[in-house]
Amino acid sequence: MPGIQDVSMTLEFPYQRTTGPVIGPFLTGLRDGKILGSRCGDRVLCPPLEYDPDTSAPLDTDLVEVGPGGTVRSWTWVVEPTRKHPFDHPFAFAMILLDGADTPLLHAVDAGASDAVSTGMRVAAQFREERTGAITDVYFVPEGQAKAQDITPGEEPVTISEHLIGLHISEPLYPHRVRFAQGLLDGRILGQRSPASGKVYVPSNGYDNMERTEMTEADDVEVADRGAVSSFTIITPVQYYGQKETEPYIRASILLDGADQPIIGVDVRDIPVDEFRVGMRVQAVWKQPDDRDVAELGNRFGGAWEGVIDRWEPTGEPDMDPRPLQEFAF
Amino acid sequence: MARDVAVVAVSQTPSYRLFNDSEAKLIMRCVNDLLTSTGLERIDIEFTIAGSCDYLSGMPFAFVQNIDGVGAWPPVYESHLEMDAAWALSEAWLRLQLGDIDVALVIGSGKSSPGQPREVFPLQTDPYVMAPLGADPVSLAGIQAQALIDAGKATERDFAEVVARSRRDAMGNPNAQVAKDVKVDDLLQAPYFSTPLRKHDLCPISDGAAAIIVAAGDRARQLTDTPVWIRGIDHRIDSHHPGLRDLTDSPSTHIAADAVGLHDGPIDVAELMVSYSSEEIVLRNALGLDGGTRVNPSGGPLAGHPVMATGLVRVIEVAQRIKAGEASRGVAHASSGPLLQQNLLCVLEGGK
Repeated sequence: MPGIQDVSMTLEFPYQRTTGPVIGPFLTGLRDGKILGSRCGDRVLCPPLEYDPDTSAPLDTDLVEVGPGGTVRSWTWVVEPTRKHPFDHPFAFAMILLDGADTPLLHAVDAGASDAVSTGMRVAAQFREERTGAITDVYFVPEGQAKAQDITPGEEPVTISEHLIGLHISEPLYPHRVRFAQGLLDGRILGQRSPASGKVYVPSNGYDNMERTEMTEADDVEVADRGAVSSFTIITPVQYYGQKETEPYIRASILLDGADQPIIGVDVRDIPVDEFRVGMRVQAVWKQPDDRDVAELGNRFGGAWEGVIDRWEPTGEPDMDPRPLQEFAF
Repeated sequence: MARDVAVVAVSQTPSYRLFNDSEAKLIMRCVNDLLTSTGLERIDIEFTIAGSCDYLSGMPFAFVQNIDGVGAWPPVYESHLEMDAAWALSEAWLRLQLGDIDVALVIGSGKSSPGQPREVFPLQTDPYVMAPLGADPVSLAGIQAQALIDAGKATERDFAEVVARSRRDAMGNPNAQVAKDVKVDDLLQAPYFSTPLRKHDLCPISDGAAAIIVAAGDRARQLTDTPVWIRGIDHRIDSHHPGLRDLTDSPSTHIAADAVGLHDGPIDVAELMVSYSSEEIVLRNALGLDGGTRVNPSGGPLAGHPVMATGLVRVIEVAQRIKAGEASRGVAHASSGPLLQQNLLCVLEGGK
């Protein structure tokens, strides 16, 4: 039986952006081993822009090649790279004024050690073996260390930039969530009774948001593991990024006996969709203690019921009047 | 002619390295504190606006749950910014200019502890040429600091002096997270983290919240004997491409300073959103501050940086000194984006 652990999750957003008439050719250039800038009056801007940064006038979309050599205008030595950085070992971020350009480009210099980097030093571009049409296709090295590269251009122009954002979130379960989680492992459902209103919230957020009152362990109360369906929806899954469901399923709100707030988003799989209804009395059938798992329990919303409860089944009692349950839909 | 708007009550939580409970609870503490100190009921608040960051919380629409802290009933007239709450104050000030309402609540909150701020904040940068490099604000601050040194505008000792003074001043601030008496020479012995910056040159990772009530004209005078008037509030932005800027200066700060009439009178106190010690050098120069202005007497963000509340805390710190009679005119500064990309100034003044 896994115990109570910190919350740890990765939040991902896959972004796809169109590149437009300037960034598209710029990224295409990187894939093909060239760095391009845009003309702006008598200056050359790199990275290139669609618009004059001073006047906002549209710029010529005919780009000019700059580099591959350049001069460091300012820099920092990154002692502890993040997972998002271009290198997993210490490196320099630098503002690099490429030969032929008038504005510096922010990029990474793989220089080995911080004392190898200085303002005014010469660097040169190196292209990665695998290139996708992204700013990360290139990096820089001290000019003397640059190797000649034979780069085969790609075929289609780059029109989409893909960027998968992945953020790690990790934090302890909040104290009231730890007690709730322990309750689930013990086969009990814990809520909290508001000292201000007397209402019982399940699972509790640790406060009464109606009365703006914080709650403590002294406010913990146990509620029943049975109740009435107060609302539900049948979800037909759409195959978006990350979707794991393929068949329609029920998500229900259940007002547990002794609670003043329904538990929501409860996954119901074993009661036929056409028999499910508001007012139906249901009860939890718990998993065996050794099989209960609260690893999915986070600090927000919901109770991770699926980790501890095997299924919900009808009690066979008469239905509750659905009308008062309207107050407990969500 | 702008309507007079004053800060009438302020509240902030301490900056915690880790607050092991929800952001909503942090907000609830501030809101309850403000309602108690003003005697206002929640229904008396006519406009509520919050600044917070869903990326930090790690959940889309996290800001909706934050409203729990304000109280779920009765419904609120609410707005939200994915910006530091100093910008929320700017919007509240603007909202009160419409003249139909008099009282607004401004909230800022953030918990940086669950995530990796150096991985979150690159998402503020250009999505094509910077974000994929993981261009984090700490590294960019290092580049700015090196540019200051190369331009002869600062030394590593100057950065360490900012840190030593801030941490020493923070010893008088009960909400500070990092407060101690440290010697500049000792700081200079520490290893680099983002050359030429050392870890102590960086703001700490903090959880916290802050909130204020602002009110217009006579309503402000009813609510407090010591209103602190907003005499000017303005925010400006520089290019998000660092290569298009002189990194040793902050043109947007110059423009905002002119817009708020900063130099129309003496400035007793300035609370600046110095997230990296090197930024204080840039801001002091851009604001033209001299020895007559006390800078960051609270210790500033180097002593506690509850992201998304940090800028509003600067307003609170200035307002509290004016309320206490320690200063008569001051400026609060807030910043957003790497390299001081966006800058907000708020000039505050005492008087009936």
